[in-house]
Amino acid sequence: MSKGSLSKLIETLSERLLTERREYLATLIETSSSLILALLAGGIVLAVLGYDPLNVYNILFRYGFGNITYLLDKSTPLMMTGLAFAIPLIAGLFNIGGESQLYIGAFIALLAAYYTHSHVIGILAGTIAGGLLGAFIGILRVYRGINEVISSIMVNWIFFYLIIYLISGVYYNPERPHESIPIPKDARIYPISNISVIFAIAVLASILYYIILFHTDIGYKMRVTGLSTASAKYAGFNPDLSMIYSMLLGGAAAGLGGALLVLGMTYSIDDMLSAVYGLGFTGIGIGLLGRLHPIGIILASIFFSGLLIGGQWVELKTGAPPELADTLIGVIVIALAIPYVYKLLVSRLIQRRVIE
Amino acid sequence: MIEDIINIISNTLISMVPLTLASVGEVITEKSGIVNIGLEGIFILSAFTSTIVTFHTADPYLGLISGIIIGFLSGLLHGVISIYLKGDQIIAGVGFNSLAYGVSLLSLVAIWRSHGSSPTVAKIPVILIPIGGYTKLSIPPLSIIAIIVGIAAWWWLYKTPSGLKIRACGEDPRSAEAMGVNVYSTRLYATLIGSTLTGLGGAYLVVGWIGQFTKFISAGRGFIALANVAFSNWNPLYALMGGVFFGFFDAISIYIPIKLQQTTGQVFTAEASLFRIIPYLTTLIVVGIIMKKVRMPRALGKPYIKE
Repeated sequence: MSKGSLSKLIETLSERLLTERREYLATLIETSSSLILALLAGGIVLAVLGYDPLNVYNILFRYGFGNITYLLDKSTPLMMTGLAFAIPLIAGLFNIGGESQLYIGAFIALLAAYYTHSHVIGILAGTIAGGLLGAFIGILRVYRGINEVISSIMVNWIFFYLIIYLISGVYYNPERPHESIPIPKDARIYPISNISVIFAIAVLASILYYIILFHTDIGYKMRVTGLSTASAKYAGFNPDLSMIYSMLLGGAAAGLGGALLVLGMTYSIDDMLSAVYGLGFTGIGIGLLGRLHPIGIILASIFFSGLLIGGQWVELKTGAPPELADTLIGVIVIALAIPYVYKLLVSRLIQRRVIE
Repeated sequence: MIEDIINIISNTLISMVPLTLASVGEVITEKSGIVNIGLEGIFILSAFTSTIVTFHTADPYLGLISGIIIGFLSGLLHGVISIYLKGDQIIAGVGFNSLAYGVSLLSLVAIWRSHGSSPTVAKIPVILIPIGGYTKLSIPPLSIIAIIVGIAAWWWLYKTPSGLKIRACGEDPRSAEAMGVNVYSTRLYATLIGSTLTGLGGAYLVVGWIGQFTKFISAGRGFIALANVAFSNWNPLYALMGGVFFGFFDAISIYIPIKLQQTTGQVFTAEASLFRIIPYLTTLIVVGIIMKKVRMPRALGKPYIKE
């Protein structure tokens, strides 16, 4: 090897290291500054409303992460709705419909488990139902040109009221008002010696999604589609199909989340849907905070689960409502919408170091 | 029968106001190339603020003004993020919706110790026009303003030089810049106008319509307004018609179950939920039929970066 090409090799390698380090640094700065911003903004809101922010945060973090089994249980549906948002976004679609995809997954799993007494059939039925609803939104986008954000929200409200009707009017529990028929005892999923089984299933699903995304043909096509539909066409495959697949996979994740929730935690659904409401929207923040990466989403879902549990404790101890979590999530999401700022920040930081 | 028709027209005039104001505003915003998906959040936040202001001053007009201010400030936030910081407009909007909901609900509990709704507040009186014997057609003053806003926005966008500048920023910002248009400031004031009108609509939800703040006060109307923007093919006049059209379905979804209860004497509890599906289902179907035929501004949603 000649001297020239060797120095060239070293040059490209160091350049690559620099860009890689730059990316990691940007990710680190983005994630941590969005969290800090959220806690600051939440603190200001709390102080304005007359609560002591330090006390609230103290309770939030101490109790939120205290009970590990509950923490992991609660993170299970969140992990799935996080994936439901992330997978379509990788292919370029904003799936705000994790909400209804989770409702239908929970409801269909409930019915399937009620009639068959099998949790396996419940899980499969819920997953398929969520996937089909997701694919429906993808098909509307591809073949009818309807913006998926608008159709997702409309579908969310349609299924919100439809399932309220079905639970309060058709599949209600005669012995317990305001509740649906229960999951039979033999179809429930219990933790095995304090290890959350539903969490384990969700983690396995996340790993499966990781493999699909980064080690299969279809995952590759989805990623290319998300970067540019023109290059997808140029590479000789149909970006429309990849978009629909991404919505199918995303919806299936939310459906699985709903199924695991109802089979392993709530065992029934109340007629105001308070057990399932909001989990899909929270998934948006989780998908973004987890950097649209299945493994990152596992961590983000545990963090958000702690926030939500801590929020309930805060309500119990100080009277501040649990919607604190929505406020924090909102600021996190807004802060993550402006990567340009962080990139600017990072390039400034690196430039300065190079000069030194 | 005539009574029902007049009632439905009255209810449609009530429910068209927030949809029309937000849709026409969003048409102006999107014509400049900025998409603001946070209309729902602006509705919720301005509705809540106007409730507080009206509750303490007993003056619903001050409530309206506070809603306008909240709309303006929300637009400023979205404008700075999407124009100057080149953020992702969809993600910023989604985040804003969550933030607005969180802050409003937090404050609702902190101020009134309630998880569902605020106390009732003073409302703006409606114009009553007697027709025939017993029934009166009620016209909310803001419905007239909404109609004027729709027509004025059309005239402004299509018949004036400054309207042309806005459209240029949404179609081809680089050429607009070359023609001497300041793309950043044009996009910012288009965003501010849109969000301010939406803020007015949000305040109206409380002081012109419901009379109190409730958790589900907006109930997806911000997104129906967004759907209406696409439905209107980004034309304020069609957005005005769409506002009346979607307002009509909003009105009958509330009116039919009440009417059925009165005539049959039956109490619908579970079935009432089914009627609430009407506006969302119609929106989905109508947009599905029409969407292939519309054309959105070419540079919509894309950050403009000066060279």
